[in-house]
Amino acid sequence: MNGNDPSFAREATDAVRGRLGSLTPAAWALLVISLAVLAFAFAVRPGLFVDNAIGGLVYGMILVMIALGLSLILGLMGVVNFAHGALFMLGAYFAYQVVGAMGLSFWAALVVAPVAVGAVGLAMEVTVLRRIYDQDPIIGLLATFGLTLMVQEAVRAVWGAAPLGFDVPRALQGGTDLGVTTVGTFRIFTVLVATVAVVAVYLLISRTDFGLTVRAGVQDDEMTEFLGVDLPLRFTAMFCLGAAIAGLGGVLRAAESGLGTGMGQTFVILAFVVVVVGGVGSLFGSVVSGILIGEATFMTPVVLTALSAATGVAAFDVSGIQGLVPYLVMITVLLVRPRGLFGEEGLME
Amino acid sequence: MTVLGPNESILDPREAALGTEGLVRRFGEVTAVDDVTLAVPSGELRAVIGPNGAGKTTLFNVVTGLLSPTAGRVWFEGTDVTDAPQYERPHAGLARSFQSNELFTEESVLENVRVVVQTAEYGPFGLDLFRDAASVGRERAVEILDRVGLDAAHDTLAKNLPHGDQRRLGIAMALATDPDVLLLDEPTSGMSPGATTKTAALVEDIHDSLGLTVLLIEHDMDVVLSISDRVTVLDQGRAIATGPPEEIRTDDDVQEAYLGGIREEL
Amino acid sequence: MSALSRYRVPVGLLVLVVALRPVVAHQWLLGFGQIATSMLIWMLFVAAFNLLFGFTGLLSFGHAMFFGFGMYGVAIAVARLDLPFVVGAVVGVAFAAAFGNLLGRLIVEKGEIYFAMLTLAVGEAVYFVVNRNPLGLTGGSNGISQNALPPWVETFRGQKSVVLPFAEVEWYWVVAVVFLLCMLALWQLLRSPFGRSLVAVRENEGLARAMGMNVDRYKIASFTASGALASIAGVLLEINTQGASIETFGVLTSGDAVLMAVLGGVNYFFGPVAGVFVWQFTAEYLSSFRMLNLPTTELALVSVDVSGVLQHWRFLLGALFVAVVLLSPKDGVWGALRDGVRVAAARFREVRR
Repeated sequence: MNGNDPSFAREATDAVRGRLGSLTPAAWALLVISLAVLAFAFAVRPGLFVDNAIGGLVYGMILVMIALGLSLILGLMGVVNFAHGALFMLGAYFAYQVVGAMGLSFWAALVVAPVAVGAVGLAMEVTVLRRIYDQDPIIGLLATFGLTLMVQEAVRAVWGAAPLGFDVPRALQGGTDLGVTTVGTFRIFTVLVATVAVVAVYLLISRTDFGLTVRAGVQDDEMTEFLGVDLPLRFTAMFCLGAAIAGLGGVLRAAESGLGTGMGQTFVILAFVVVVVGGVGSLFGSVVSGILIGEATFMTPVVLTALSAATGVAAFDVSGIQGLVPYLVMITVLLVRPRGLFGEEGLME
Repeated sequence: MTVLGPNESILDPREAALGTEGLVRRFGEVTAVDDVTLAVPSGELRAVIGPNGAGKTTLFNVVTGLLSPTAGRVWFEGTDVTDAPQYERPHAGLARSFQSNELFTEESVLENVRVVVQTAEYGPFGLDLFRDAASVGRERAVEILDRVGLDAAHDTLAKNLPHGDQRRLGIAMALATDPDVLLLDEPTSGMSPGATTKTAALVEDIHDSLGLTVLLIEHDMDVVLSISDRVTVLDQGRAIATGPPEEIRTDDDVQEAYLGGIREEL
Repeated sequence: MSALSRYRVPVGLLVLVVALRPVVAHQWLLGFGQIATSMLIWMLFVAAFNLLFGFTGLLSFGHAMFFGFGMYGVAIAVARLDLPFVVGAVVGVAFAAAFGNLLGRLIVEKGEIYFAMLTLAVGEAVYFVVNRNPLGLTGGSNGISQNALPPWVETFRGQKSVVLPFAEVEWYWVVAVVFLLCMLALWQLLRSPFGRSLVAVRENEGLARAMGMNVDRYKIASFTASGALASIAGVLLEINTQGASIETFGVLTSGDAVLMAVLGGVNYFFGPVAGVFVWQFTAEYLSSFRMLNLPTTELALVSVDVSGVLQHWRFLLGALFVAVVLLSPKDGVWGALRDGVRVAAARFREVRR
């Protein structure tokens, strides 16, 4: 983040302008070709296209909600929090407990689960993470990896290893007609909730005194404490916040796709990919790259199917390439732009 | 000899043992090294002095390749080494010690020096898998430790050495690269007066008996005056004067740089 | 005496392979010895991982891929392509080395945190590809289990043996010999000039570079060697489990390597050995443990059924792991053992005096 400029919008436009300005002709050509191919895919099967575009957005926003907390904790405290995926998973299981097991309303789960995950985050921060802020970052990665193991086993002990699921309220069931296709109302709800959460965090960090003091503490902790700011308290608060957003992401994901004990691990790896692609140290980069990876994951099959149908070349139709797309994006970005899309030079190196 | 002003050098930097031409290094808005042109002739013991934050350590970091310069060139024995990787410079003969005690902390004192001797022997990358490393370069490491006065501490872990001995170990490791030009970053910092005298004598001994060119950052003026051939004064990133120690002491510009701030306050 | 202390690693390894099976098979411990074979294989795998983490300072969270390359190399050659075992093993190990080398070139210069995150992601991508069953070679999520043993391995009532021209040898001893050779090679590598350079890189990368080491090349070489060694463990595992399974490529396998190495003590040659032993022994012991009888089984005043709690042994080991990381991340069980022995020896000497 740009320390001198608190405005999110300014940072975003500057970053984008900087990126566009530095694009090579080859990159421009790639951009044009991608847009042309996307337009073609839309022309072939508009319904499928919109379906997957929204699917990608939903998936991407879930990734953003995990990656945001990860990036926040990494940027502020220098800790790669492996347990962030476990917190995401806990959000899902807490929601299941509220809705599926206790029979309460989904709306209650939407509030209770993130708060409860925040509380677990608090416990983690106070007992473990606080001891490792000024140590080698590898120690933080290892310690939070151990925490992940404990959370995973605890979940297995309480809820079992079988996949679970729960229902959402009637208002969010069914679909919304968009002309070319009908989209599940819950997907739109997910995108809305995630957008509100992400924007709120952004404003908190960039616009409020709270965010300002935390960022000052990252720059110069001794001076900030000297000025009377209680930094440990604020770091704890930031950690809880990151945990709660991941938990909220877990609730939304579980309501749509069900929940299992492997979800935390799968998503934390994807969140790592998002942070690496977006650039370590840039919250804005995490948001962009989360959506980019979500969309790329869902649009690649659509594009390939369209190309295969149009050209008659079956080789284009690589079924099941979907899951590999985030890693292909990551490797491409690393080769072309090693520090990620919006990463600062020298950070974490 | 007279005192030279900014950007005047004793000889062409390209012909010096170590030279810089218009060297600049910026960190964002801050210019830490600002258009520095230097030429250190072979065999000289040159002290670099200046107030805190004058850019002395940054100058060392750019010269040794830890940082890349924003502009300017670095010349070593007639070759432009500006773009050479950092790890190649010790093999060419350009070595340094660090201001903070950078050591292989969990290793013994002997191993700290031995592994550097070994590196000097094998080059930047050595894939010798079949010998027992304990015997590679051991004799030379012992010899160097004798020279710096650490002969009694071979088996002590580096992290357990007292501060002054750690600084001497740093010098020993730089010597183990078998340098022609040695850059020492405040070898006496944090030492008692007795230890400071001992270390100054060590630096002088290295310079005299090994015939090395030495570039020395030093705060202790007694040390600077007693052992250096020439002194370069850095102020706000610029080399404002170079000359023999006694003349530098009485030079107006230097007085201005060190005392100017105080005079204005009066 | 000095010869003994100089060669204490080879001697210790020899004692280990001879004593491991009888010890775990003792009735006070597990009561059966089969697990000893898989312990040796895992010890080799974790020791290979620790060449990179403990002795070069690079944490790989995707080391399972190398384990898997060796395993699938053999399984694909034997079961799918009808090639000799040796071809599969050599191709598998060579592929692991080449993959490690190329991946290292791509990511090694980005720093340790990036390295951990990127190896994790690449490991996941490899898992994904193997799971897709490309060209029908890997069997996808079913793995490879049919006809996956080379003809010279015989199984009789779950006991494997290897038929050599002159004799039939128990599978355990074949593993033991390969384990010994690989661990001795690792030991020699670590005491060689190359190995000492790796340790210097681990201790202080910046200083190593300033003193003339091409740090990136040392790291890439270490990653390559570590990957190749891990894949040899994978070759052994293929025969041990009579085929290849997709779980070997999973992130849990990579994570287990990290856990075992840290638990054992990453700074020591025998750290991974101790870590694997503690981990696998605890896992077997606790999951077969049913009743807690106090004070003894013969004279049980209190009997508690603890099987419900102990089947979640991973939670307990996770907690132990977090404690080790917070208190003494580089010493682990082996470090504690060494300290204990040293203190006891000092005490003993004092008493004698």
